[in-house]
Amino acid sequence: MVKRRLYKFLKRITPINPGEEIISLLLFFYFFLITLAFGVIKSLRDASYLDKLGPENLPIAYATAIIVGVVVAFHAKLQVKISRRILIIYTLVFSFLMCILFFLLFQTGWKWLPLAYWIWANLVVVLLITQFWITVNDVLNPREAKRMIGFFGSGGILGGIIGGILTGFLAKSNESYALLFIPSVFLMVCIFVVGAVFRWNERRLEEKMPGKEKTRKQKVTETKVGFHVCFDTVRKSSYLKLLALVVVITGIVSTFIDWQSKNIIANWPSIKENLTAFFGIFSAGMLVFAFLLQLLMTSNIIRRFGLGLALLVYPLILFFCSFGIAVWPVIFFAIVIKGADKSLSYSLNQSARELLYIPISPVVKYRAKVFIDMFLNRLAKGVGAGFLLLIFLLPPNLWIISVSIISAFFILVWIILNVKVSREYTNTVKKNLVLKWDRAESLIDRNIDRETTRLVFDLVESRTQSDDLFAMHLFDLIRQGKLTPEIRRFLGYVPENAKVTSVGALFDAQDAGLFFGGEEGLGEEELKKEVEEILSLDVYQQVIKNHFLRITTDVDGSETARMEAAKAIGFMKPDSPLVDKLTVFLDDKSPGVSRYAIESAAKLKLREHVTFMIKKLSDPKLCGDIEDALETYGNLIVGMLADHLGDETMELEVHRSLCSVLARIGTQEAADFFIWEMDEGKSDVETEIIDALHQICSKNPAIRFEEYSVHKKIREKIESYCRSYLEMDENKIVPTEGESAASKDKELEGILTNVFRLLGLVYPREDIDKAFQNIRTGTKNSIAYAIELLDNTLKKDTRDLLIPLIEDISEEEKKERCRTLLKWLKGFKDREDKSRSHH
Amino acid sequence: MKINSREKDNVVIFDIEGEIRRSDITDVTLHQMVKKNLDSGCRNILLNFQKVDFIDSFGVGEILASYISTQNLGGKLKLAKISKKLYMVFQVTMLTKVLEIFDNEETAFNSFFPE
Repeated sequence: MVKRRLYKFLKRITPINPGEEIISLLLFFYFFLITLAFGVIKSLRDASYLDKLGPENLPIAYATAIIVGVVVAFHAKLQVKISRRILIIYTLVFSFLMCILFFLLFQTGWKWLPLAYWIWANLVVVLLITQFWITVNDVLNPREAKRMIGFFGSGGILGGIIGGILTGFLAKSNESYALLFIPSVFLMVCIFVVGAVFRWNERRLEEKMPGKEKTRKQKVTETKVGFHVCFDTVRKSSYLKLLALVVVITGIVSTFIDWQSKNIIANWPSIKENLTAFFGIFSAGMLVFAFLLQLLMTSNIIRRFGLGLALLVYPLILFFCSFGIAVWPVIFFAIVIKGADKSLSYSLNQSARELLYIPISPVVKYRAKVFIDMFLNRLAKGVGAGFLLLIFLLPPNLWIISVSIISAFFILVWIILNVKVSREYTNTVKKNLVLKWDRAESLIDRNIDRETTRLVFDLVESRTQSDDLFAMHLFDLIRQGKLTPEIRRFLGYVPENAKVTSVGALFDAQDAGLFFGGEEGLGEEELKKEVEEILSLDVYQQVIKNHFLRITTDVDGSETARMEAAKAIGFMKPDSPLVDKLTVFLDDKSPGVSRYAIESAAKLKLREHVTFMIKKLSDPKLCGDIEDALETYGNLIVGMLADHLGDETMELEVHRSLCSVLARIGTQEAADFFIWEMDEGKSDVETEIIDALHQICSKNPAIRFEEYSVHKKIREKIESYCRSYLEMDENKIVPTEGESAASKDKELEGILTNVFRLLGLVYPREDIDKAFQNIRTGTKNSIAYAIELLDNTLKKDTRDLLIPLIEDISEEEKKERCRTLLKWLKGFKDREDKSRSHH
Repeated sequence: MKINSREKDNVVIFDIEGEIRRSDITDVTLHQMVKKNLDSGCRNILLNFQKVDFIDSFGVGEILASYISTQNLGGKLKLAKISKKLYMVFQVTMLTKVLEIFDNEETAFNSFFPE
C-alpha cells in the first residue's frame, strides 16, 4: 500500500516503473547526502584558500590535482583487495574523520593549511562522486538509468543547494570551520544509505537471477581491477579514448574558468568583503537553477534534441563567455561563466556525459570510470594549472586575456570532440546488438548455388528415368562449368536401378574426369562447342522437327520423350525454329514436362513464354520453378510482371508469387513499381509488397526508395497499430469465432514488423533490423540497447511515433500514448490535406 | 578421314577411319558416298565407327544428311561402335531418338533383318 502510494507520488515527478520506487529514492538520497557534504566542504575550500592565500596562488592549488591523481591510482590498487561496498563505506568513514581532523587543524591558523584542505576536498569529491556513479552502473540497467537519472541527479543538485545555503547563512559568523561538522554528519548517514542500496541490489539479484546466473552477475558487477588494467582498457578503445579526451579538455577548461571567474569576482569591490558568504549563496543560487533544469528540462532536452546537442549546450555557453571575458573582463561575464559552470556541468552536461557510458559493458565501464573520472579528470585540472603557471610568466595585465583566449581555443576543441563522441556513441550502441538472423533469401544466395543443386538432383533422378535425360543434365553441368571434381566423384556411384548404360558407365571409372579431358580427346569446352554447332545445323533442325511432331502428336509421345525434348530446347539458340515448340511443352499436362520446359524458357529468356508461365503460377507443383525461371529474365519483364500484379482478376496466390519474383529481380524499376503500388494502397498483397521492398533493400543497398511514400506508409501503419491496440484493450471488438487475443497480438506484431521493414528502406537497414530483432527476441538489456539505437538513428518525427509503441511501459501508459499518437497523426493528416488543397 | 565400303546381304557397310572434321574434308564426303550408294539402289546403310577417333559437328551433319537422304528414299541408316563421347553428344542433342545406334557391327547388321 505504502509502496503503491510512493510509486504514484514518484511517477508524477519521474517516469519510473513499478518496483523502482525504493532504489530511485535511495539513489536520490545517496547523491543528495554526498553533494550536500561536498557543497559545504567546497565552499569552505574556496573561501579559506582565497582568504588566506589569495587568488594569485590559485594555480598552485590547481596543480595539486596531480597529487589527487596519484592518490586515485593508489585507490584503484586498494579496491582490488576489498569489495566495492566496503570500499565506499571506508571512504565515507575516512572522509568523516578527515572533516573532524581539519576542524581541529584550522584552529591552528597555519597559513598553508587551506592548500592541504584543498587537496583533501578535491580527493573527497572525486572519490565520492565517482563511487556514486559506479554504484548507479552496478545496480541499474541503461534504460532504468535513463528513466531515473533526472530524479536522482536532481537529488545531487538539491544536496549542493542545501549545502550552499547552509554555508552561506552559517558562514557569516567567524566560526566558518565549525561548518565541517555538517558534512561529517551527512557522510555518516550516507553509510546507511549505501548499505541499503547494496542490499536492494542483492535482493533483486536473488529474485531475478537465481543460482548460476546470479553468481555470474555478481562476478561481473564486482570485477576488481588494478590501475594499469583500467588504463589499458581506455587505451585500446577509440570510443573511450575520445571520452577521455573530452574529460581532459573539460578539466583544463574548468580550471581556466574557475581562475577567470574567481579572479574577477575576488577583486570586485562590492564582493571581496565577504567571499565565503558570496560563494555560498552564489553556489546555492546556481544549484537551484541546476536543480530545476535537471528535474524539468534535462530529460526533455536529451530526448528531444539527442545526446549530441545536449553535449554542446554547455561548451557553447562557455565559449561565448570566455570570448566575452577576453574582450571585456567584467563581473557579468565572470558570473555568467561561473554560473553556467555550476549549473550546467552538474545537470545537463553531467547527465549527458554519464549516458555516454551506457553502451559500454559493465566491466569496461567500471575500468573506464576509474581511469577517466577519477584519475584523468584530476590530472586534467593539474595540466590546466600548468598552463596557468606558464601564462603567469607573461605581464599580469595580459593574464586574463591570455587565459580567456586559450580557454576559448580549448573549448572549440572540446566542441569538436563532443560532436565526434556523440557520433561514436551510436556506433558503440550498435556494437552491443547482434543481427540475430538474416533474410533466408540472402542466406540461400550466399551459401547455396540453387541452379547447381537442382541440376545435380535432376541428374541423379534422371538415372532412373532415361539415359538421354541423364546425359542432358550432365551436359548442362558441363555447359555451366559446374561439373566439379566433387560432383564427378558423387556421380561415380550408380544405383542398382539405374537405367544408364552408356554415359553412366563413364563414371564407373576411378576418375570420371578422364572422360571429358582424357585420351579420347573431347574436352568440356570442345563438347560445348560441338553440341552448339550440331544444334544450329539446318539438317539437325529438319531431323528433330519430325521427332517433335511425333512426340507431341502422341505417336511416340512418352512423358520421358517430351521431358527430353523440353530440356533439349534449352540448349538451343533463341532464334532456333524448334524453340517455337516450347509453348506446347510449357502447357503440357505432365508437370514433369512443364518443369523442364520452364527451365528451358529461363535459358532462352523469350518474352512470349512469360505469360504462359504466369498463368501456371497458381499450380503449386510448378510455382517454385516458374518463380526461379522468371527471376532469370531480370529487369526485362518487370513491366509485364507489374501489369499482371495490377490485374485484379488474377488469384491472390499468383499476386503473391509475382511479388516474390519482382523482389528477387530486385532492380530499381522493381522497387519503384512496388513503392507506386504501395502508394496506391489498393493492393491485396500489401504485406508481401513491404516484405519484397525489404528483400530488395537487403539484396542491393544501392537501391533508393521514395522517402515521402515510405514515411506516409509508416504513419499509416502506426495509426493502424494504435487503433488495433486501443480496440483490443477497450474490448470494442468482440472476438468473433477464431479471433482471439492471441490473433490480435499477432496482428499488432505484423503491423510492427511492417513498420520496421519500411524503416529499413529509409534508414540504415542493418541497424533497423538489429534493433527490431533484439526488440522482438532480446533480453531486457538488449531491448534497451535496441531502443537506444533507434533513439539515436531515427529522425525526431519518426522517433516520436515509434518509440512510445515499443518502450517497456505500463499498459495504461501505452494506451495513453496511443491516443496521443492518434491525435497527432490526425493533426498531421489535416495539415497535409490543407496544404495539398492550398496548392 | 578414310572410308572403305563393303556390301553384305544388300547392306552397304561403311568402315570409317580417322577423324571426321570440317578441316579434313576429302574429295568425297560421307554424305556423298552414301548418296552414291542410294542412287545405285542400295537402301540399307551401316556406318561403322570402330576406327573413328573424333567427329566434329561437321561430321554429325554428314551423318544426319545421310540419314535424311536414306530415310526419304525409304531406306535405313544405322550406326555401330560409336564412341561413348559421341553417344553422349547424340543423347544431349536427342539424336539417339532419331538414329539407330548399336554397340557392335553384328547386332547392327542383324537389325536390318528382323525375324
